[in-house]
Amino acid sequence: MQRVFITGYGIVSPLGGDNAENLKSLRNGTDCVSPVTAFDVSKTRCRTAGQVTDEWLKEPMTRKNRRLDRSSLMMLQATREAIRTSGQFSPEIMVIATSSGGMSNGERFYRSLIEPTGRVGAAQAVANYMAQKPVLDVQEKFGWRIPAQIVSNACASGTNAIGHAFQLVRAGLYDSVICGGYDPLSELVFTGFDSLQAATPDKIRPFDRDRNGLVLGEGAAVLALESEKAAAARRATVLGEIVGYGVSTDNYHLTQPDPSGIGPKLAMKRALADAQLDPASVEYVNAHGTATVFNDATEGKAISELMPGVAISSTKSMMGHALGGAGAIEAVFSLLAILHQFIPPNINFRQPEPDWRFRVVGNEEEPAKIKRVLSNSFGFGGANATLVLQAAH
Amino acid sequence: MDLKVGFFIQGVGGVTPVGATAEQTWDEVVRGAEAVRQPLPKGFGGRSYYYSAVPAKFTAAAGRQPRLRRSGTISLLGVTAGLAALADAGIQLEEAKKGAIVFAIACGGVDYTRRFYHEVLTEGANVASPLLFPETVYNAPASHLAALLKIDGRDYTLVGDSSVGLSALHFASQLLAVDPALPFCVVVGVEEADWVLADGFATWRMASNQTSFPVFGPRQGTILAESAAAVVLSRSGWLRLVETSAGLPFFSQKEAPAALADVVARVCNGRTPAGILSSANGTFADRVEEAVFASQFGSTPVYAHKPATGESLGASALLQLVLAKFALEQQKLPPTLHAGDRLQTVTRGVTEIHGNEVLISSVGFNQQVNAVLVGR
Repeated sequence: MQRVFITGYGIVSPLGGDNAENLKSLRNGTDCVSPVTAFDVSKTRCRTAGQVTDEWLKEPMTRKNRRLDRSSLMMLQATREAIRTSGQFSPEIMVIATSSGGMSNGERFYRSLIEPTGRVGAAQAVANYMAQKPVLDVQEKFGWRIPAQIVSNACASGTNAIGHAFQLVRAGLYDSVICGGYDPLSELVFTGFDSLQAATPDKIRPFDRDRNGLVLGEGAAVLALESEKAAAARRATVLGEIVGYGVSTDNYHLTQPDPSGIGPKLAMKRALADAQLDPASVEYVNAHGTATVFNDATEGKAISELMPGVAISSTKSMMGHALGGAGAIEAVFSLLAILHQFIPPNINFRQPEPDWRFRVVGNEEEPAKIKRVLSNSFGFGGANATLVLQAAH
Repeated sequence: MDLKVGFFIQGVGGVTPVGATAEQTWDEVVRGAEAVRQPLPKGFGGRSYYYSAVPAKFTAAAGRQPRLRRSGTISLLGVTAGLAALADAGIQLEEAKKGAIVFAIACGGVDYTRRFYHEVLTEGANVASPLLFPETVYNAPASHLAALLKIDGRDYTLVGDSSVGLSALHFASQLLAVDPALPFCVVVGVEEADWVLADGFATWRMASNQTSFPVFGPRQGTILAESAAAVVLSRSGWLRLVETSAGLPFFSQKEAPAALADVVARVCNGRTPAGILSSANGTFADRVEEAVFASQFGSTPVYAHKPATGESLGASALLQLVLAKFALEQQKLPPTLHAGDRLQTVTRGVTEIHGNEVLISSVGFNQQVNAVLVGR
């Protein structure tokens, strides 16, 4: 069994266009949710989202770059940051997550069919519709020609992709893997969550007693994972380590978790068992924390039972829920918490549920000695996944 | 890294326009049957396309499951094939919950997606149906099968192009490799079709508006079809995975033959298969495979099922694998319908094969290729 080191990371999210900006916003507890500008939201209850600023995604204006989709631009930016931080990293495979893939291109294509504007851009929309396209665009840009596995397990996708990559390296099947996830904001998905009344017209308030729904976000994040052997061979700087991964499937309902909390609890228990760790050895849980009534209730119940007293926060409070990108983004946030020894704040927080037995780090960052973090992701279809990240030593 | 595996296909399942089961599909393609092509429901701009549907009676049992009462075609197909593969493997439902699930999908629940978005655009976001949206998610079919089997562990959906089935097979091999306690993995490839999807293909000149299409001949585009194919991958069985691959990308059609040649050379590793199950579908994929097969396996017979069953994207590569099981068992390949003259080794009638290994090749329409070598 190989130890699995994180030797690079890259992120673009509503919190910032690069690693440094994300760290700054994360520590400041910046509310990066703003009115949606990409499409008409006049008929939805929720009208806000965490959005990546177009200015952060500029590529040189070549003919090829002009064809790149927003998802590709986000993935390029995140990968560029990961390569910058990792040094001479040469991956053997990419394991990348997405939930909605190129849905906004599907929308563009459909609009070209039914609206009088005609079919300009329709062919490119089809090409960019496929979920693997941003990953292949990254490979072409970086001169890689390696296999790509695209995992789509709804909102758990990002954590599943990193978890699978971790298992591949740990088992010795690969030495160097790029893993992570992306999801751009799309009208269909935005409206879908609104139709389910899962989205809030208010602020997103994870774990607050008066929470009433999520807002969506977008972004991309990737990690460079290397076996101990490979990292040592090139004298890479080890930023952190992944030591455990757990998955569970909750069969209660396609969109609602079992109220008993068994789904999240099993994923966390399995991740801790995989890491051979006691729950008490974890200092911080980066919770899934969507701020919907049911999701936070089940996750809260599970954390209360498994890890009483632990400090938690949901970083979605600052940027919304980036779906398939969320698990990867939150893995990077967890790594930053370890690297810089702080707990990111759960903003917009007012008061906890009375029967929860954990501590929500509300509204301001908290300096803390953090050696281990649990990062949770739970999604439609009952897909639940948890990672255990550990400080490098 | 390609995975040198000690894993086996323990059971197969399938539901296609020509067969309610994998076995019936095999019998029909051997007989030379061609799926019925029916017009896709009305689209836009006067353009019309045909597709091959799976008769509703083939998935009726799945449709009676309470969990699936609001589900789309893709879930009914996936569940039908998955359950059939488990039954073929002799795995009882009580035992099934110990396994894992990997689904392979290219475009997903396109019917519900189109209906939901049409409601958003034409009636307003405030009235779009909340019943449709959850079923648009890529992993909805996998979650339904997991629920029916009471699986509380691993349940993954992989997305990609028409080669994704083989990527999912490789992914399942990885799951078995990293977890010695995992007894088996159900791998399901599935796809549904609608007019918008066909029009998307036509935008890139990859969809035909005829009722049949040739392969290894004039490039006229393909015809979409609904289908699902499934295998149970385990640690014992009759059909051995000799070598799988995670696949490779290509960045232009010109580069595709080199990518496929690379993958095929890796999985075959100097061996010559007794037969090849091809992904030829009337598009550029045919040219890619022609070049590789002619240069690497000059006399090996090649069978392409898609002119008979249609192009079912996420399901197609696993359907090739399912047909490979029967081919090895019966030592023959079915006739390739509408075979052109660009590849001399294509089967033009039922063709005997002599050997223990066959190659499955897949050229995706969106920049990925893959292959697997299986043996008895």
